[in-house]
Amino acid sequence: MGKIKRYLTDQVHIAPLAMFRVIFGMMMLGGVIRFIARGWVYELYVMPKYYFSYYGFEWVKPLGEAGMYTVFIVMGLAALFIMLGLFYRLAAIAFFILFTYVELIDKVNYLNHYYFISLVSFLLILVPADRFFSLDVVRNPSLRVTHIPRWMIGLFRVQLGVVYFYAGLAKLNYDWLFRAMPLKTWLAANSDFPIIGAYFDYEWVAYLFSWFGAFYDLTIPFFLLMNRTRKVAYLFVVIFHVMTAALFPIGMFPYIMILATLVFFPESFHISLIDKIRNLGRNKTIFQDQVQNFFSSHWFNKIIIPFLILFFVVQLASPFRYLLYPGKLFWTEQGYRFSWRVMLMEKAGTAFFYVRDPETGRQCEVMSSDYLTRQQEKMMSTQPDMILQFAHFIESEYKKKGIKDPEVRVESYVTLNGSGSRLYIDKTVDLTKEKENFLPKKWILPFAENQLSKK
Amino acid sequence: MIKRKFTYILCLASIALVFVQCKKKKDDPTPETPFDKAGMLANIGENVIIPAYADLKVSVDSLQYFSNLFVAAPSLTDLSNLQIWFLKAYSSFQWVSAFEFGPAESELIRANFNIFPCDTLQINSKIAAGDYNLSTAADLDAKGFPAIDFLLYGSTQNNNAVLAKFTTDANAANTKTYLTALVNELKSKTDIVNTAWSLSGGNYISTFKSSTGSSVGSPIGMLVNQLNYDLELLKNPEIGIPLGKKSLGTPLPDKVQAFYSTKSLTLAMEHLKSIENIYLGRSISNVDGLGLDDYIIHLKAQHPSGPLNDVIKNKFTAAKAKLAAVPETLSQSIISNPTVVDQAYLELQQLVVLLKTDMTSAMGVLITYQDNDGD
Repeated sequence: MGKIKRYLTDQVHIAPLAMFRVIFGMMMLGGVIRFIARGWVYELYVMPKYYFSYYGFEWVKPLGEAGMYTVFIVMGLAALFIMLGLFYRLAAIAFFILFTYVELIDKVNYLNHYYFISLVSFLLILVPADRFFSLDVVRNPSLRVTHIPRWMIGLFRVQLGVVYFYAGLAKLNYDWLFRAMPLKTWLAANSDFPIIGAYFDYEWVAYLFSWFGAFYDLTIPFFLLMNRTRKVAYLFVVIFHVMTAALFPIGMFPYIMILATLVFFPESFHISLIDKIRNLGRNKTIFQDQVQNFFSSHWFNKIIIPFLILFFVVQLASPFRYLLYPGKLFWTEQGYRFSWRVMLMEKAGTAFFYVRDPETGRQCEVMSSDYLTRQQEKMMSTQPDMILQFAHFIESEYKKKGIKDPEVRVESYVTLNGSGSRLYIDKTVDLTKEKENFLPKKWILPFAENQLSKK
Repeated sequence: MIKRKFTYILCLASIALVFVQCKKKKDDPTPETPFDKAGMLANIGENVIIPAYADLKVSVDSLQYFSNLFVAAPSLTDLSNLQIWFLKAYSSFQWVSAFEFGPAESELIRANFNIFPCDTLQINSKIAAGDYNLSTAADLDAKGFPAIDFLLYGSTQNNNAVLAKFTTDANAANTKTYLTALVNELKSKTDIVNTAWSLSGGNYISTFKSSTGSSVGSPIGMLVNQLNYDLELLKNPEIGIPLGKKSLGTPLPDKVQAFYSTKSLTLAMEHLKSIENIYLGRSISNVDGLGLDDYIIHLKAQHPSGPLNDVIKNKFTAAKAKLAAVPETLSQSIISNPTVVDQAYLELQQLVVLLKTDMTSAMGVLITYQDNDGD
């Protein structure tokens, strides 16, 4: 125990953390600019008439067009300040709050890599990443430190390792390993890929990619940790993510991972990298750093260490919460989010909502597209909690139209990993009587391998 | 040390080898050949899309010719000739409605040609005011086929009364000019799109054939997305909404397509057939080339009730049968025989599920119009 403690609190050079801060700030700044430039602020946070809030976070609402653009501009500035290491703590707090706020507005936009960014930006608040190679140090040289406790860098390695390892664990399922699904579908759709695309139609290629992907995710954190394998492992990181970037519409994530995993490299690598950046365009000799240790205060350690242990224990445990629910995880998606389940299924659905006025017995169909964007409609169709939320929204809309107690039912069809569309939700259940909570949703029909489509 | 480094590479390489071996051992009797997506796009582009636009051009040209004749000297004979070509052109339009990408998207063909029901009050007031400007968004309800439908048939469906609008009515001159403006817009936009697709013109066909990816904005992606969107237009505005699907069962018979000429059922059937032909890759002259069906067969896509392609083809057949079973006119059947209309509607609904969910998922096409990140 004492050994572990000593290992974690040993003073190591701060360079990897400072570089990580620069890279993270830079990628986030790029991400924010890209997001604004593509018009997504408007499309995702201004245009929709309805937002699918998270359970318990219904109070999180968008701020209107001017408000949302302000949020993104401030977020971009915060990212810039993180990168520069200027008013760092404040910038990190602002970035974490704004980014997380935006993500909480609409479940439709949930992505594992957004969750990852929220977590990392939170961890960045806790560490003195601006005490080296930063404008804060230029501003106030007394802030400068060269060495910090090892755990402050370890945090980010563990966080990245968790993402990979759990993404790998999630791939250990029947469809992925023994049906090569969904890669079989996705690769076949990419047969125009340069050079190797011609092979994407072959089944064995899909199996190769599936098994390689699982092996890669499960092992890469360990190979990155070991001195002997690190360089080769990093080569695979680059190849793997460049491939996924070219094949799938996953935006910045591959590039973030390629650069973020540099944190696994030793301090010598980062020190020379920082020296190179410092010497860009000027002819200075590399100056020797005076060792300056950083010790966090006793009370800080007393609070933060148990907190961080809890932080990671929850993260390690929560992906398994799906075991508490009956049925096939990919089908019901109960306990699916926040578990690093990345690119695991080809799932699509169509949902027809019906409103019935019990007083008159009259019924009508709701055109979801009257209320939802195409993207929202698509995401909602395959996720029961969102179907329920939308049903409740329809209930309130029709109450406004003068129906005292509308009933809302859904006839929805979903196909999962090439299963063919089958009835998803019990279409006899009045969803207005069902409540959102963490209990199993009994109105999700079981995924039967041979279930015949019902008319 | 160097040896250790290579253990990692070896691990990965051996996995690769295992699979190559497995593949060889399996000795597949029918070696898979990649599906000819370029061939499918070429067939759909050259034998389905371009001929459909050419057909629309012929009809619209004739429509303009007879419209000019009629406007020059309105007579009952010219009116009925004009009506024939109007219906022909409206029907031809059903065969291009699905291609709202590329040239048609830039011209906003669907919105400019076929927003129904038209706003008759707006049309009448524009005529009275001599306002022939059709270019603003506010004019969308007062133009295109639905507006011409109103002008050429009127609410009485009495050709003498219609003729009077163009001859003795106080606004006769303005009505004639308005009709000409409507027809001219159809003509000019049809020509633009037709030229844009053609080899000798904008050569969009080459763009369409050239890229075989399935991502957002790729030809396959756009074709499939718009095909689905178009099928939903058939299901909702053409049948469902008039049937009262959105209005708590209250029928809205005046919201049908081609309300004044009462050709709603004919047009809906043409529309359904055109969607089927796109799926099958079947040309206007009934030559069956590479289509989405062949792609689905190649992918061996399954449905709980059988091979997906069979299920889809059967559903097209069933939907056509149920639609054909609806007695004329659609507006009347909605009131007097809603069950029969509802059966046609339900078949279309099932078809939507098959094309939007099963087909697109099997093909790995994203149903979306905005490009966005996934994971």
